Amino acid sequence: MAETGGSELARPALIAPASPGAAWRLRGIVLDRYFTRVAILPTFVVMLGVFGMPLAFSFYLSFTGYAQGQGLFSGGYVGLENYQDLLSDPAFTGSITITLVYTAAAVAAEMVLGLGIALLLNIDLPGIRICRTALIIPMMVTPIVGALCWKLLLDPSHGVINHWIGQHIVWLGRPDTALAAIWIVGVWQSTPYVMLILLAGLRSLPSEPTEAAAIDGASRWQVFWHITLPLLRPYLLVGLLLRTIFEFRAFDNIYAMTGGGPANSTMVLSMFTYLMSFVRFDFGLGAASSWLMLLMALLLCLFFIALIRRREVT
Amino acid sequence: MAQVVGSNRKRWLEAVLVYAVLAVLVLGFVFPLIWVLGLSLKTRLQIFATPPLYLWWPTLENYADVLTRADFAQAFINTLIVSTSAVVLSLCVGVPAAYAFARFPFTGRTFLFFALLVMRMLPPIAVLVPMYVLFSKLGLATTRFSVVLADTTFALPLVVWLMRGFFEDLPAELEESAWIDGASRYRAFWHIVLPLARPGLVAAGILCLQLAWNDFLFAAVLTNNATQTLPVMMAAFNAGDSGVDWGGLTASGVLVILPVIIFSFIAQKHLVAGLSSGAVKG
Repeated sequence: MAETGGSELARPALIAPASPGAAWRLRGIVLDRYFTRVAILPTFVVMLGVFGMPLAFSFYLSFTGYAQGQGLFSGGYVGLENYQDLLSDPAFTGSITITLVYTAAAVAAEMVLGLGIALLLNIDLPGIRICRTALIIPMMVTPIVGALCWKLLLDPSHGVINHWIGQHIVWLGRPDTALAAIWIVGVWQSTPYVMLILLAGLRSLPSEPTEAAAIDGASRWQVFWHITLPLLRPYLLVGLLLRTIFEFRAFDNIYAMTGGGPANSTMVLSMFTYLMSFVRFDFGLGAASSWLMLLMALLLCLFFIALIRRREVT
Repeated sequence: MAQVVGSNRKRWLEAVLVYAVLAVLVLGFVFPLIWVLGLSLKTRLQIFATPPLYLWWPTLENYADVLTRADFAQAFINTLIVSTSAVVLSLCVGVPAAYAFARFPFTGRTFLFFALLVMRMLPPIAVLVPMYVLFSKLGLATTRFSVVLADTTFALPLVVWLMRGFFEDLPAELEESAWIDGASRYRAFWHIVLPLARPGLVAAGILCLQLAWNDFLFAAVLTNNATQTLPVMMAAFNAGDSGVDWGGLTASGVLVILPVIIFSFIAQKHLVAGLSSGAVKG
């Protein structure tokens, strides 16, 4: 640390006379040329072996039929049958709709609530740090445990929520309330993520534009709408991207609370794929369903990345 | 950037309003957990009392029950083994790569980096289906090792993103002068770069730990009764036929989330960096 600009001082070592260690050093230089490759190799192997290969294999699986006690390559080739079956299965097409509706509703609520809380927490008041700490606890809780906690709160006969509203509502057993209950738990868990990202954004914004606008007589609302929000846009986009990606794959809460029921009303794509693969053990269908899911996730990703990029260019 | 505020009186009124709104929010967000913590400290009779008890003499009997259960101890050990191994593996694999990404141009750098981003973005269930089939053919399914590998797949991109940022912020002069003094890239990396990046390593490690500790999906598919982790055991609690044991469920829930909450608070500063995964600097 003492010599940050030490490269000039150290340069004479380059022309040091050949020492007994010279041969070793030469080998070191040769090895050095491979440093980057050596450093990247493990990551590359993991990506290829544990990620790329399974994906390629699942692409193959998606064109094979069901086989009891399936051997690696024992399912016969069935062409596009799995994909056709899925796309004509109302449970699958329904699950696409449910996933999109759930994702949109959860992300919208998380963004609005997260932005509101971030703005409040950005005000300099004593004790605000304690509020911040308390508000991020839900996102640290193991998701499946959080969902089980809510399941107890929502219990029809012994749950405290039904007791308070004085009614006997089977929240998770009715198609019209189950998805809403899951939505509430998702928003509870993930609003803190958005809040943290936006709070970091707010803290990094320059204060001059806001102050100048206030001096020029702009109202609070005008400052927020015309200055803070546009400046915050990159952070909003990142929050939007991350939350969309993560809500799209929602699984734990649904598994713990409803398992996709009642009457498929909470059957999101992850749950559908899980049931196909690990309850029905039809890996061909499961693989086809997961490839369709992959493509949708990839499209979502590319859409948001393009949105972020375009912003950076202008 | 602090908010611009008006006159003193207005300011005071506003503070009260802000505190009131925040109090409601905090209560709303923390209430489910407080209530569950309360349930875990009640006897069976107290749990099902109507109207619910708001004041009672707390009992630790649920905790005593859970802690003496052999399957809980086993699941705890499994979780500990799986998550620490996943952390070590992800760091060992990801940190050198992150350093290379930060410092050296090489062919395919952009492509590899993009691939890593995609890896983080794709839904885990989609990778799990073929992984399960492959692992079971290799005799790896139902082992803890398979869960470690699966967790690593999703922790690795996080490590690379986070550590690349850390390495980029370190001044390059230090390693450069070490190279000029005759140290190999390996030595310079090990003796100069890594010690400087220690805070980053800690943060990345804790984020991986959180990821692996909280993982349910991979562990649910890739383990059996002997190798199951805590989240899997929690879900099984819930599925019991003889009605849910509320005391056991809540007490073990508290025990599962306690360590991860403590870890997360230690890494609080770095949470944002980890969440936004390099998409936003700072």
